[in-house]
Amino acid sequence: MFAKVEKSPVLTLTFIAVGFLIFGYATSLAKITDFIIFCIFVLGFDLVYGHMGQLSFGHMLYYGAGAYGAAMFANFVHPDPFLAMAVGISVGAILALVLGSVVVKTTGACFALLNLALNEVGAFMVLVPFPEWTGGEDGLSLFFSSYGFIDFGDRVFRFYFCLGSLLLVVFLIVLLVRSPYGLLLKAIKENEIRVRFLGYNTYVYKLITFVISGAVAAFAGSLSSINLFYTNPSLMDPTRNVEVIFAALMGGAGNVIGAVIGGTAFMTISNYLASYLIRWEMFLGVALLIFAFRFRKGIWGYARQI
Amino acid sequence: MLLEVTNLDVHYGHAKVIHDLSMHLKEGELVCVVGRNGAGKTTLLKTIGGFIQPSAGSVSFMGESIIGTPLHRVALKGIKYVFQDKRVFGDLTVRENIELAAHPTKENLSDAIKKVVAIHPKMEKLLDSKAKGLSGGERQILLIGRALIGDPKLLLIDEPTEGLAAKIIGEIVDILLEMKGRIPMVVVEQNLFTVSRLADRIYVMREGAFSNEITDAATIKQPHCYEEDL
Repeated sequence: MFAKVEKSPVLTLTFIAVGFLIFGYATSLAKITDFIIFCIFVLGFDLVYGHMGQLSFGHMLYYGAGAYGAAMFANFVHPDPFLAMAVGISVGAILALVLGSVVVKTTGACFALLNLALNEVGAFMVLVPFPEWTGGEDGLSLFFSSYGFIDFGDRVFRFYFCLGSLLLVVFLIVLLVRSPYGLLLKAIKENEIRVRFLGYNTYVYKLITFVISGAVAAFAGSLSSINLFYTNPSLMDPTRNVEVIFAALMGGAGNVIGAVIGGTAFMTISNYLASYLIRWEMFLGVALLIFAFRFRKGIWGYARQI
Repeated sequence: MLLEVTNLDVHYGHAKVIHDLSMHLKEGELVCVVGRNGAGKTTLLKTIGGFIQPSAGSVSFMGESIIGTPLHRVALKGIKYVFQDKRVFGDLTVRENIELAAHPTKENLSDAIKKVVAIHPKMEKLLDSKAKGLSGGERQILLIGRALIGDPKLLLIDEPTEGLAAKIIGEIVDILLEMKGRIPMVVVEQNLFTVSRLADRIYVMREGAFSNEITDAATIKQPHCYEEDL
């Protein structure tokens, strides 16, 4: 049954849209907007991890770059939310291009740790040396222009805007992974050297994937700034990389619906379980161990077999 | 000369694996390299294929040095490698494996599929099967077929019959014989009976160097004549 959902892009989008509409109206639109933004971030991260097979411990850097790019533009240049988003995405993509040109030459632990190190540098840069621009530890409070019904001050509009953004990202990633390019990514994940023997310059394809992944993460970051009306260093905190890795593993890495389910599952646990358990992170750790050792395919990986 | 290897030295760290080795290959020729395990046969093939950089010597292909050339450029020059381990892209279907090989050579997918099916019609039924489900022989056929996509100018084939059943070995040898004369090949092989059927010339390799070169067709047909050279 669920396998059919995955095969048809229309069913995939409907499944996600209906799921979030029910969840949003049954709980809280504001909270579910956060969930949706996080899912966009997971989708971006999973391009590099699940689809290309490289684990990054530093994708918060691109999330934060998007958040700060949008926030600084809105704060110092113009409070237009769409321009701010465009700037946020561009900052993330350019940063991913520059850093990715070095990072994608590495693999395995080196790739993971190099990303983490760069994330640490980014977090330091927004926190310490330029407080007059980044707001330092306090971050930046933001204001965005509204145009008629386009009012980001309205939580219902924010919810639908973010849901539309998620569906757009899902659609584009589905197109990407089903194209010959997606085939190539699968092959690179399986055996990069053999792909090079076929005549592909895998460096270029890996870099392009890294840039797209960074841009999607930055898009999520810029949405976060607009949704929260502020930006602070926690949006670039390297320790939060664990969250996106947990989410991708829980949902099922290398699958678009898996990324969305993983993002939602992680946010549900971290938002709701915290009300009942003081050390809810311990539960998350146990859950990760169970997924890592017993359910490698993640929630969606098993659900699709039903 | 299509391929010319001159005074090749290859090191793994401090260990010299190939020393002062020279060989050549003419258009349309099928050369077999034989030798015991650890003699350096695969290392030689990987060096020609651009996967390992030699510490000294030269490898020229169609008159151009290919040392230091990135792997993908070596492949685009028309040198195709069929690995010993018979690893295909298991998560992809047979059709997708073929599509992946066709794209960089700009060969039409249907033409590429025809080429693979032509060497073994059984492959047509397997086109939509996941490659990880193929048998060893089917994988080898897919790998050889995939290497034929884009009109290769040189095939490097490492132990094509290793670990295969006798019947499949026969099929693989027939495929290689059918290709012989059209596509130049360097084949590393330990099965001397197979070598005797395939080779135009034989290089016997021992401890990183060629100990003998057999060019006489009558001698090639009698494996016992060079068995003790190994």
